[in-house]
Amino acid sequence: MKPLLVSLILISASILRADDFFEMKIEPLLRTRCFECHSHGGKMKAGLALDARSGWEQGGDSGPAIVPGKPEQSLLIKMVRWQDEEHQMPPKKKLPATEIALLEEWVKRGAPDPRKLSALQTKPLDWWSLKPLKQPKVPNGAHPVDAFIRAKLNEQGLKPAQEADRRTLIRRLHLNLHGLLPTPKEVEAFVNDPNPHAYEKLVDRLLFSPRYGERWARHWLDTIHFADTHGCEHDKERPNAWRFRDYVINRLNKDVPWARFIREQLAVDVFYPEESQLTPALGFIGAGPLELSRKTTAPVTFSYLDRDNMVTQTMAAFASATANCARCHAHKFDPITQEDYYALQAVFAGVDKAEATFDLDKSVGAERKAMTALLQAVEKRNRAVLLTADTQGMSKAWWADRKVGKVAAWHSLKPSDLVSATQGTSLTALDDSSVLAGGMIPLTDVYTITAKTSLESLTAIRLDVLPHDSLPMKGPGRAENGNFHLNEFECELLSPGSKDAIKLTFGSATADYEQWGSWTAAAALDGKPRTAWAIHPKVGQPHHAVFVLKKPITLAAGSRLKVTLKQVHGGAHIIGRFKLSASDAPQERVVIVPADVLAAWKVPEEARSENQRLALIGHAVKHMAKERLAVLPPKVQVFSVNKKAKVLPVNLLNRGNINKPEQLAQPGALSLISPLEGRFKLADPENEASRRAALAEWLASRENPLTWRSIVNRVWHYHFGRGICDTPNDLGRMGGKPSHPELLDWLAVWFRDEAKGSLKALHRLVVTSQAYRQQSTIRQDAAAVDGDNRLLWRMNRLRLDAEQYRDSLRIVSGRLDLFMGGPGVKQFVQKKGVHNTPVLDYKAYDWDRPDAMRRSIYRLVWRGIPDPFMEAMDFPNLGLLAPKRGQTISPLQSLVLFNHDFVLCHSKHLATVVQQPESKKPLVWSNWQQIGPFRGGDFNALHAKVFPPEEGLDFKAKYAALRWQPSKLQDGSPMALEGENCAFYFHRSVEAAQPMTVEVSLGSDDSAQVWLNGKSIHEHKIERGLAPDQEKLTVRLTPGSNDLLIKVVNGAGPGGIYFNKGAEESSDPDLPVTAESVVEAHRLIYQRTPTSDEQSELLGYATTHGLAAMCRLLFNSNEFLFVE
Amino acid sequence: MTSQGIQSRRNFLGTVGGGFGSLALGDLLANEGLTPKPEFNGGIHHPAKVKRVIQLFMTGGASPMDTFDYKPALEKLHGQKLGPKKKPEGFTVMPGAIMKSPFEFKQHGQSGRWVSSVFPHQAKLVDELTFLMAMSSKTSVHGPGTLMMNTGFVLTGFPCMGSWVSYALGSLRDNLPTFVVMPDPKGLPYNQKAAFSAGFLPAQYQGTAINAGTEQPVPNILPGKRYAFASKTADSEGLALLQKLNRRHAQSDPADSRLEGRIKSYELAAKMQLAAPEAFDLSKESETTKKAYGLDKKVTEDFARRCILARRLIERGTRFVQLWSGPDGPTNNWDNHGSIIKELPPMAASVDQPIAALIRDLKARGMFEDTLLIWTTEFGRTPFAQGGEGRDHNGGTFVTWLAGAGIKPGVAYGRSDDWGYKTAEGKTYCYDFHATILHLMGIDHEKLTVRQNGIDRRLTDVHGHVVKEVLA
Repeated sequence: MKPLLVSLILISASILRADDFFEMKIEPLLRTRCFECHSHGGKMKAGLALDARSGWEQGGDSGPAIVPGKPEQSLLIKMVRWQDEEHQMPPKKKLPATEIALLEEWVKRGAPDPRKLSALQTKPLDWWSLKPLKQPKVPNGAHPVDAFIRAKLNEQGLKPAQEADRRTLIRRLHLNLHGLLPTPKEVEAFVNDPNPHAYEKLVDRLLFSPRYGERWARHWLDTIHFADTHGCEHDKERPNAWRFRDYVINRLNKDVPWARFIREQLAVDVFYPEESQLTPALGFIGAGPLELSRKTTAPVTFSYLDRDNMVTQTMAAFASATANCARCHAHKFDPITQEDYYALQAVFAGVDKAEATFDLDKSVGAERKAMTALLQAVEKRNRAVLLTADTQGMSKAWWADRKVGKVAAWHSLKPSDLVSATQGTSLTALDDSSVLAGGMIPLTDVYTITAKTSLESLTAIRLDVLPHDSLPMKGPGRAENGNFHLNEFECELLSPGSKDAIKLTFGSATADYEQWGSWTAAAALDGKPRTAWAIHPKVGQPHHAVFVLKKPITLAAGSRLKVTLKQVHGGAHIIGRFKLSASDAPQERVVIVPADVLAAWKVPEEARSENQRLALIGHAVKHMAKERLAVLPPKVQVFSVNKKAKVLPVNLLNRGNINKPEQLAQPGALSLISPLEGRFKLADPENEASRRAALAEWLASRENPLTWRSIVNRVWHYHFGRGICDTPNDLGRMGGKPSHPELLDWLAVWFRDEAKGSLKALHRLVVTSQAYRQQSTIRQDAAAVDGDNRLLWRMNRLRLDAEQYRDSLRIVSGRLDLFMGGPGVKQFVQKKGVHNTPVLDYKAYDWDRPDAMRRSIYRLVWRGIPDPFMEAMDFPNLGLLAPKRGQTISPLQSLVLFNHDFVLCHSKHLATVVQQPESKKPLVWSNWQQIGPFRGGDFNALHAKVFPPEEGLDFKAKYAALRWQPSKLQDGSPMALEGENCAFYFHRSVEAAQPMTVEVSLGSDDSAQVWLNGKSIHEHKIERGLAPDQEKLTVRLTPGSNDLLIKVVNGAGPGGIYFNKGAEESSDPDLPVTAESVVEAHRLIYQRTPTSDEQSELLGYATTHGLAAMCRLLFNSNEFLFVE
Repeated sequence: MTSQGIQSRRNFLGTVGGGFGSLALGDLLANEGLTPKPEFNGGIHHPAKVKRVIQLFMTGGASPMDTFDYKPALEKLHGQKLGPKKKPEGFTVMPGAIMKSPFEFKQHGQSGRWVSSVFPHQAKLVDELTFLMAMSSKTSVHGPGTLMMNTGFVLTGFPCMGSWVSYALGSLRDNLPTFVVMPDPKGLPYNQKAAFSAGFLPAQYQGTAINAGTEQPVPNILPGKRYAFASKTADSEGLALLQKLNRRHAQSDPADSRLEGRIKSYELAAKMQLAAPEAFDLSKESETTKKAYGLDKKVTEDFARRCILARRLIERGTRFVQLWSGPDGPTNNWDNHGSIIKELPPMAASVDQPIAALIRDLKARGMFEDTLLIWTTEFGRTPFAQGGEGRDHNGGTFVTWLAGAGIKPGVAYGRSDDWGYKTAEGKTYCYDFHATILHLMGIDHEKLTVRQNGIDRRLTDVHGHVVKEVLA
């Protein structure tokens, strides 16, 4: 058959579908050539707008601009053809012939124009969410929320439901505000609280608890698709992302005002530069996925897409606006232009998602900042700073402490071993203990000097570099100019009797002279081989540097020091002559005071020149600042914004195509939200943080109607399961319409003004309404009018979400660890993957581990490899923003809830919690007895043959010469069996006070069969050698005495048996079942006592199958799974 | 498609009044009338020719010019430095000299398709296959490329084709998962589970990942052995009691369909518990079948097992099965940067015989009448050498083939340029590929939409044309 080839030339207009033709060819043309003078957004010269179909249909002052299908009669065509002097558009320059032809073709084809929502163009702001916020009057009624709700219900002739009972209410409130079930004690206290304000009291208590922040943080993390890994091709962990999660929890618990919360997350570094501990707020910006190709193989594509992600997230989270819909063309439904969209991209033009370092403690941050500023002042000899009374005072105190002039005692280190890394170089010790390099001059070298010391403690080591006639320019270096570069100075301590050398840690280094630039003595301690100490141009004279240990150390007698001088820059920058000495003097006394400073110090105070004073202050301040910096706790990291990234150019992309960049975009936001400025006026646009700050201001503005509507709607959504507008991330024309627009506006203004942005106040207001407190039962009459319950004639019945489910199982089974914060808990087993992404085995995770008890919010969330259990319960895919959770029900979900280790494990623990402690009696095991060998055929025959012990246990019986006798078999020790081709039986009895389960492990050479109370429970026909734990069985014991019988058949060769009791004996029993324990489990899970029918059913089941099995059922039941 | 399948799907989203479920449903389905129709043979918008799909995905970017896309020009230009002067986006390094294929190409079948020596088994069946010879991707990076071929987007978070199909059409029978994925046992593909995720669709539509060849291939079908109280009898008696509790509870609010929905979900779960072990039990397969697939040989054993399982699942009512050849990372897959001549043949050999056997088996069982088989990869490779004898990523052009129901066999659509660097004619993106498959299943790709954060999302984004030329 001949291959079928069809030519498809996409760029040819002739085969484009009508709509595509318009969008790809005509709209861009109209936009670039005509919109400037003829559009609703700009001018409408001659009354004509071409940015909507209605625009050319109605036409301007001269009538319709286009007659579809008839180019010759269309005014627009006459105009662009420059038909005569009257008809010349655009006025300055005629369009190219190709464009005119395109327009002609368009009109000829009937002027297809899919831009339907002309309302967008004519009245772009005529949409509820974009209108300025005004607080409507509250209809009559006590509670403002109820007043609005009732008014709507009345319109439909509907009545609200009765208030739910207190048990229902406390369960609802706890799960909503804490994500946890209440304890029976809490339930009873509330149910029996005579205080008329018991409900309000409960609400306050719940909002005050830190459990609130833990619960509600997850809502925000969902909304902004936060996870702990990148989530793309290389799904790597972000080990410090959790600090943002903790930040959110803390800020919610502290109830930070909403506007401030916005400012912090977008630009805390600009708004609150003093509050270093709040740096994790910027984790907001890094929350989403990151395709690492941005930094490697496809930087342009993925830079745009990464910024797109940040724009989408920021605008959806704070303003519920879908700005991202304007990436390839103007938003089709909302007044958001492509220019707006790229202005938003420009806000993030300097953002590179990466780790940022910061000080955890605000005061540490302040100290670090102050000290760093002082050091800078010293370096720049900033008189204004150095001559203040404060600094002068500091300096005085420092000098007083130092008692300069008293020179520390230095003890020469006489080298016992000298090594140069280069062949042909010789190191020779001279009489004064100095060392001279000779022989060939290499480009680089590393000297190792070992020396004994008799000091009892060590605080510093001093390196003198000395001139010598044999060296170029007399040294002290061997480079042509007499210089050297000491890249690294290292020292190890070799203690007598110890094989291992200890590497010493130095805290600071000073020198009498440091070459201009960054050639400081400290550079020899920084671990970077590219930096060094050098002394040019002061060659031909001695210099010295002192390296001070971070902490003084004590030396045992006979200790040796091994000093390494790394000189690896090349160019023969090698030390020519040097000497080492050590000191035990206090640290402050070993610091070198440069000669000029020393000279200044010796001048009487009143006689000092300003330069001398500056030298003294500079020296003191420098050392003090360095000392204080050295003792500060180290900075920590959070995955957020790389503070050193450059602002990249962001262009408006024609149809979003990276190969078609147009003008450079300037930072801004949406231009149509009056009175807010759509483009930012920035003092320093190259400061990327100022761009973010400007957007934060735009969003946090009182005048931004989207922001305040967005957040109150979001909060409403999480209380009722559905927002007043049911698309929390989109309040635009593609979103839902609000069911109660007046209520939404009232709440938005109230939240902004009266509550001053306090979420807790908003929660309190909402949950104390009758609307929230009503029953959830469906009433047929009301359902007939409003089946969706949009008007809230009842409370919505919500299914537990993934976290509520897991944390509630933890709390009822006594396995909830309330420890807050810290790195994410890995509730999976992690193995190395094929490439950068690891393998996660969720199934292998042991739910008995202590870290299994942490709340779900502290789970490490791997974006691309989600926890299947959490997914089954609709934990969202965090590749995208997730403002809403699903509420699905499916058989796969039921299988998870019924069979997953998590549920089974917690069923087991709950059973332990509710069992009666007095009936927890251990098992009583008898010793083993055995009988054998029985013979009769080969291995196969013996395995199949039924010998008398299988037919009935009679310990007194005699079978030929065989009888039961005590066995030497002991738990956990293998025992050999004598005889080939024969069978043995082993018996043991077990006393159980109640039904119990025990795990046992077996080994046998060869085959094994096991009976419990005459019933076969295991059979393994196999020829093998003996080993422990060849098989594990679970033995279910009934109350009273149980008989355990094992048959081992040995074929050829040696035989043997192994038996052990599992550790599970006491931790995984079928627990004693009493009515009390059944009732207790029921109360813990359902917050109510069972009816007598329920109790007897459950007791019946639990008696046969155990309490754990019963708990598992309750954890699967609808009554547990739904919040009424 | 039976009405039962439709019904079960609706049940789980919740149908009747009162409900949150029905809200969620209305919310998700932007379009009215998204219901499989018996008069359309289970299709939604028009008659369906395909009811089930097996998709074979070659992870890493299978080289076209070394398999199905014969390029004699490369032989003439071999060794010449003719490539781009600047590293294109997505290439890992600067392109080297033009490199001919080290493998011999021959024409096969009546259709005369050229196939290289690495695929001797598929070569015999070219008259059954329909080639898209000018597939193109918008990226030359693995993760985004894999996502694009599966979800239509280069970033994560979007539903894959299998999820869309499950969502739209539901299950054929309710005792097995609707959409099953069998990753390479060596590891997940690039972007891990995102390639078979349900994205913003409910989690139940995501691919159920199966660990073929392990004791419990379907996760959670049975309780773990360490919890002895979850015994067989405790399970069955417990389920009965649970249903009793749930029914009694449902009486408190009979109008809430979700309460009944959960009761039903446990019934179906019990059905799956019965059906799944049987479906995964290969011991029922004849020795001839096992041998035909290559289950007896080390090189083909794994892919053979998964191909047989795919057929068994499809036979038993699973709607969409996806098989992956190769894990992520730079080795053990089709990402042959280092050496085409060394790295490609073992990969090719591991799938070639099993695939051929699968085609024959499906045909012999009459399943080609309503099953579609797809072979694809995330992108192609450069005609330029990388590091001597490897090839770099190339989204410019690559090959996909389709076989089975609704497809014109023995046909090729589109053509790459003479070097196999870019497409020359009949360029098809994933959008067109997906549109075509949805079309075959009775779905108009422009009408299958779900509103998500303000946008009516489609598998085909805002693109896609059904490739009518390959339809029967």
